Amino acid sequence: MMNVAATEMLCWNAASLLVAVEPEDPKCFAEGMRDLTCFWEEEGSRSPDDYAFTYMYQETNEESSKCALTAQSVGGSKTRYICRLPSVQHFVPLDVSVFQDGRLIYNRNLLIDHVFLLDPPANVTVTQTGEQEQLRVCWLPPALMDMENSMMYEVEYAPTGSHMGKRESVRARSEIILHSLQPDTRYNIRVRAKPDGLSYSGYWTAWAPWVSMTTPPAEMDLLILALCVVISLILILLSLTLLLSYRRFLLKKVWPVIPSPENKFDGLFSVYGGNFHEWLGVGNRGFWWSPTFLLVEESPSPLEVLSEAGFTAPVPVHPMPFKALGLSKKEVEEDERTGGQDSVLMGRRKGKAHPHWVLEQLQSLDQPSVPCCELHTLEPSDTYVSLNYRSQQDSGAMSPLADISEESLPLQVLFESPGTPTSFSDLESVTYSSGSGEISSQSSLEYPYGAWPLKGPSYISMTVTDSGISTDYSHMSWGTTGLGDLAMAYTNEYKNKVPAPRLPPHGHTVYSYY
Amino acid sequence: IFHTTVSDRRFVAVLLMVLQWTRLGLPSPLRPICDPRVLDRFIKEARDTEFAMVRVCSEGCSLAEPLSVPLTSVDFAIWEKGDVSEQAQEVQSGLWLLAQAISAVRVSITSTALHSLLDNSHSNIHSIGQVIRSLNFPEYTPPADGTVHEDTWRVSSTLELFRVHTNFLRGKVRLLLSHAPACRRDST
Repeated sequence: MMNVAATEMLCWNAASLLVAVEPEDPKCFAEGMRDLTCFWEEEGSRSPDDYAFTYMYQETNEESSKCALTAQSVGGSKTRYICRLPSVQHFVPLDVSVFQDGRLIYNRNLLIDHVFLLDPPANVTVTQTGEQEQLRVCWLPPALMDMENSMMYEVEYAPTGSHMGKRESVRARSEIILHSLQPDTRYNIRVRAKPDGLSYSGYWTAWAPWVSMTTPPAEMDLLILALCVVISLILILLSLTLLLSYRRFLLKKVWPVIPSPENKFDGLFSVYGGNFHEWLGVGNRGFWWSPTFLLVEESPSPLEVLSEAGFTAPVPVHPMPFKALGLSKKEVEEDERTGGQDSVLMGRRKGKAHPHWVLEQLQSLDQPSVPCCELHTLEPSDTYVSLNYRSQQDSGAMSPLADISEESLPLQVLFESPGTPTSFSDLESVTYSSGSGEISSQSSLEYPYGAWPLKGPSYISMTVTDSGISTDYSHMSWGTTGLGDLAMAYTNEYKNKVPAPRLPPHGHTVYSYY
Repeated sequence: IFHTTVSDRRFVAVLLMVLQWTRLGLPSPLRPICDPRVLDRFIKEARDTEFAMVRVCSEGCSLAEPLSVPLTSVDFAIWEKGDVSEQAQEVQSGLWLLAQAISAVRVSITSTALHSLLDNSHSNIHSIGQVIRSLNFPEYTPPADGTVHEDTWRVSSTLELFRVHTNFLRGKVRLLLSHAPACRRDST
């Protein structure tokens, strides 16, 4: 049994703990395996003789007993009455009754092994474990028999100065390793204990006094540092390699080259110093025109003009502006011949005569007979140009945006069946289909020798870039410089078709015929 | 010229048997069960049964006849000085009494849920007996007439019975097992 005075000292702390936690009166607790202390507090300062404290163990054959009370004054006006049982029995219900002046004021039934209030864990030590962000906390379990395996503990830790403490629970072990701590920080740690509740139960002990320890400082892991250096070196090398291999591309993106038209205009800048007129004058034989890209790029090539009389000598073709030709005579003839065919183009050829030389050429070639089988003798590079009659209604507008309608088709030449007079321009060669009354035109570019199909009315159109001639747009147009070299002819077969819609301006003159 | 007589052979046989039986250092046929968690589990189940009984028996579930149950009280001052074998006897007789009481209660209870709990408690008591036997305690032989010489208590309700059952396991049985010499000898 402990010294009464010492026990009383402990009582003060225990009492304050219990008063907060235990609602029932009298408050009882066991500090060891062989004692029980019960107390209650009352206003006033009555003598303990006024009270009677009786207790009885149930489920035993024992009788009730009385307990000697002692009184303590608490906080001035209150008195605490304390009973200490000399011997206790565990694992049996204890019935406690308190009488004041013969009158029952408190009654309680409790199990003594359920009201343990032990001393806080002793000898709490905190050490570094040698690992980062860790601390080990050790303490002594209560030295009570049979209690060592029945305890649970709670550890509270917080950095010094912080009020946000964390708690960890431990069962049956008297040490714990705290993880995930801040490096190089001073931590305050305290521990408390309580029976685990299976065999024994009780109240939380008072907190053990704070213990401090500093966590080890964060150290730069050498391996990680080396890896970082190596990786950054590799990245730098990679980026340098990429930069060097694509430096030209990057330079173009970052510092783009200002485009210069130098390559499109041969010699414009180098020879003529940018003087456009002079440069124009070299390639132009007196005829003013506005060259387009296509025109400039392609060199003149001879354009063969075929006449019904047979092959004519290749006539060098110069890019010349086309003037609208009026071939009224031809129109009439062709109208008669085509009859039901779509001769819209023909119908429009009411234009008056234009440059005489053209007309003269045409007229000179007006022959009754039509040579046959001459198409295949044409060179592949020759282009076939059909002359369109351009309607005179179309004033002199040379814009390429002239109507594509049949009426606005410039020089057109109908391919006539053999025996019908044909008209040619000296700029174009006309193909005839032999042996049929059909009108067909084909481009030598498109068909191999001898493979001229006999078709229905078809038309061929050739575009000639020309500033002075209104353009005629058929639904198909050649892209050609008018020089015949790379003209691409599209043949279309129209049978009583409506006029082609207007084409976007190419800067070409489109010649088509049906 | 190494012939043996019949009596010699008998003597050797008996000697071997005795040696086998008494030789030290060899484990007994039943290995001692010293893990406290074994009994802790039984205690937990007994507590759960008691709480289930509290839920079911609002009136207390009175018994038709009072049943004898062991005393559960432990005075540590006395217990520590006590004789282990006597304590073993006390514990074993108490377990036997409890088993009898539980069997008697099972007959009168109709709820099937409680039946499973009672059966579980009964088998646990049997297992605890085996644990005690494994610790080399002298075996307990139940009295033929059904009465025990130790002090008993009589309970008149099922609730009381299972409270006694829990307290007995928590107290005396656990103390006996945790301080069993067989376990202490192994650890040292």
